[in-house]
Amino acid sequence: MKKIIFSFTLFAILVSCNSGGKKTASDDKKVSLTSAGATFPMPFYNLAFKKYGEKTGTYINYGGIGSGGGIRSLRDKVVDFGASDAFLSDKELSEMPSEVIHIPTCMGAVVIAYNLPGVDNLKMTPELLEKIFMGAITQWNDSKIKAVNSGLNLPDIRITVVYRSDGSGTTNIFSDYMSKVSSQWKEKIGVGKSLNWPVGIGAKGNPGVAGTISQSVGSVGYIGSEYAFSQKIQYVRVQNSSGNYINPDIKTVSLAAKGQIASDTRTMVTNSTDPDAYPISGFTWIILYKEQSYNGRSFAQAESIVKFLEWLIGPDAQAIAESVNYASLPPEVSALAMHILRTVTFDGKPVLN
Amino acid sequence: MVIIKISPLLDNTKARDKKNKLFRAFVIAMSFITVIPIILIIGKIIINGIGQINFNFFVQTSPDSLQAMTAIATNKVIPGGIANGITGTFLIVLMASVMAVPLGMMIGIYLYENQGRRYTNLIRNTSEILQGVPSIVLGIISYLWVVRNVTKGFSAFGGSVALSIMMLPLIIKSTEETMKMIPNEIKEAAFAMGAPYHKIILKVLIPTGLSGLSTGILLSLSRILGETAPLMMTALGSSIINFNVTKPTSAVPLLIWEFYNDPNMVNLVWSSALFLTVLVLTLNVLSRRIAAKIKIGIKK
Amino acid sequence: MVSDKLTKAILLSSSLIVLIISAGIVFSLAGGSIPAFKEFGFKFIFTNEWNPTEGHEIYGALPFITGTLITSILSLIICIPLAFSTSLFTAEYFRNTKASGIISSLVDLLAGIPSIVYGLWGFYTLRPLIINLGLSDQGFGIFTSSIILAIMILPYATSMSTEIITMVPEELKEAAYSLGATRLEVIFNVIIPNARSGIIASYVLALGRAIGETMAVTMLIGNSNTVPSGLFAPGNTMASIIANQFGEASGLKLSSLIAIGLLLFAITGIVNSIGKFIIKKLV
Repeated sequence: MKKIIFSFTLFAILVSCNSGGKKTASDDKKVSLTSAGATFPMPFYNLAFKKYGEKTGTYINYGGIGSGGGIRSLRDKVVDFGASDAFLSDKELSEMPSEVIHIPTCMGAVVIAYNLPGVDNLKMTPELLEKIFMGAITQWNDSKIKAVNSGLNLPDIRITVVYRSDGSGTTNIFSDYMSKVSSQWKEKIGVGKSLNWPVGIGAKGNPGVAGTISQSVGSVGYIGSEYAFSQKIQYVRVQNSSGNYINPDIKTVSLAAKGQIASDTRTMVTNSTDPDAYPISGFTWIILYKEQSYNGRSFAQAESIVKFLEWLIGPDAQAIAESVNYASLPPEVSALAMHILRTVTFDGKPVLN
Repeated sequence: MVIIKISPLLDNTKARDKKNKLFRAFVIAMSFITVIPIILIIGKIIINGIGQINFNFFVQTSPDSLQAMTAIATNKVIPGGIANGITGTFLIVLMASVMAVPLGMMIGIYLYENQGRRYTNLIRNTSEILQGVPSIVLGIISYLWVVRNVTKGFSAFGGSVALSIMMLPLIIKSTEETMKMIPNEIKEAAFAMGAPYHKIILKVLIPTGLSGLSTGILLSLSRILGETAPLMMTALGSSIINFNVTKPTSAVPLLIWEFYNDPNMVNLVWSSALFLTVLVLTLNVLSRRIAAKIKIGIKK
Repeated sequence: MVSDKLTKAILLSSSLIVLIISAGIVFSLAGGSIPAFKEFGFKFIFTNEWNPTEGHEIYGALPFITGTLITSILSLIICIPLAFSTSLFTAEYFRNTKASGIISSLVDLLAGIPSIVYGLWGFYTLRPLIINLGLSDQGFGIFTSSIILAIMILPYATSMSTEIITMVPEELKEAAYSLGATRLEVIFNVIIPNARSGIIASYVLALGRAIGETMAVTMLIGNSNTVPSGLFAPGNTMASIIANQFGEASGLKLSSLIAIGLLLFAITGIVNSIGKFIIKKLV
């Protein structure tokens, strides 16, 4: 027994002296904020929050419990801000106790991944996507696929569709795009975080879908770009509204935001009109209350959140986003976000000067 | 008076002997089959996880995606470790045990002492049903009760409450069943000597049944050490080491979930699982040693 | 004695806590599930559809109820012979030997492995095996999940049984041996009747664990939200759908998920009774 207590004490001492050789935040004077929400931006947020903490001493806890969880947590006022892949609808906004603002933080895309050894640079039109995911085309060497990919040797294998079984912002962006380019899809399947898929198998999370695709030859599915870009997966060049076949990467995804964006940034930027943009892209947002004086919060807390968000949409943090395969906000969107940030108040007075 | 006559024609000794041998072979074969998947799973954990284990693994906090990505690209071991998870798990599990173990044992003893009553059956059945509640539902419940109303924010304490509810049915049941196996004579002897009830429980029943009791406690500890869902909704997670129970805290299973969802950190899933497996093994071995020592102490 | 009365009172009040917690859970769940029951009525329990399409939302619990029932009972059926044999091995046949010590430690280790890891192992090792055996196209399904569940609940079924069997008084066994009983007869006529309560108790706990398991099941069951068409077909369970969709659900879907959580209470009670009945007949 004594040995156990001794070894644990030793362990505790070692741990507090050596947390990565960097500053530890076990000091009470360090401000800490809490946030929760979308899993899509989690790698970026974890990295950004860590860097911010090292820089300023303000550490932010983040829990990837899902966009719905993020919204709920904000509504229940148990977090300082939430994170969501889908902006709140008018109905959802009305259900919040007070006004909520959206700050876009970065962009991501939905990548169409597939498993056909030896068949690279597959191209797809919106029509192909609709027919494959709705089950109208069932073989890889179907004439319609061949027509778009004349140079490729497509095998006579069955197509296995893989979709997300859990509710997800990735599904939301994908279905939003599909509804814009296919009236059949809009009518039969619609838009949403989880859908009634006519064909295919469901797998949980990006790892589930990616794992299933990588294990089954002939499968095709959609994955969040932040996941796909870090893996060696084959993905499709999708034809955008200008007729160009676009390879998803952080540049083509950022281009999708060039266009009309709502003044509160609540816009789905799928099917962008920009000729070089990747059509299945979207924002992810941080949501917080416009009026920060609630539940006995201090001005210092409000100020630290706003200052943090100011940093997050700024060039340093956006460069961090790109380093982990997220697309950065175009300067116009950053400026718009900054503009919204200036409207955050504490007791009616703007937090930022 | 019973006279046993065995007529040679009716002597079925050979048949009984055969059955005996067959059953023994069956038991050995089934035990062997049982062990196969266990070895496969634990083997895979060791093989996949051992690569990432080094001293830093235990004392540094979790790495970020960029560190992991660079490490993989340059074929190095991913830096950082799970220290924030280890300390968080320790804190949360300790609090959960402090709440659940004494309570569970008291309830188990109550059930044992009041067999046959309708109320007792109600409690027992309720506790069995509680065992079937998915951990995520308990997480949601603790979110509603503790996170929203008590700590007004995600907290380690909320996590402990969810986990302690998960521990209860196991401890209750193992306590009740262990007590039932204690020969009545021992209890009656203590009563006959005029010992007060609480002393009988503390000095006679519990020490005698220590082996069974510790099995139940160990089983419930093992279970909650690996649980993610309830902690996601209550303790939330943290990138730093935290000992404040009213604040978000990390835990090893939470880190495993984060590693799983990050494209660059999947290897760490296995290393963390290896850590948990070794921890459970250590707890098992320790508890057996301690139980044996206490038993010897009593016998003396 | 006064202190005795006090002790008894303390024990009684502790038992109340079980009721309070359970009542609280049921209450919280009931509150959240009212919108679902209002919209669908009690038909909800028997509706074989889960359609989240906006504007045409229909939710029903039947696919998940069947999935939970089949996987949990099947996993228990697979687990019992293994657990029973292993308990006898460790507590009777090879008691106090090194082999039994190693085996019981190995089994106990299983309880500490996180369910994600079971899911991953099942995905990368078990699933290809099932595909290779030709049992299923994609390897996902009820059968695969039941197997992984059977492995996961082994420690609960074995650990306590082993302890209980060990605690059977030596005198009883010796008496039987002295009458010329074989080991098999001692096991079935002395040990089991004596240890029956504890053995059944451990299987009930194992069953509960199987019912409530989420992560490993959700990674292997195929997540098709309809009643499974066969043993090797994909399906879904109540715990799995809650875990899958809770993070992103709101409104009617959230209420339906909470309603499923509430139904799970009832289903657990029913399955426990069925399980106890089956076990009493077998053991």
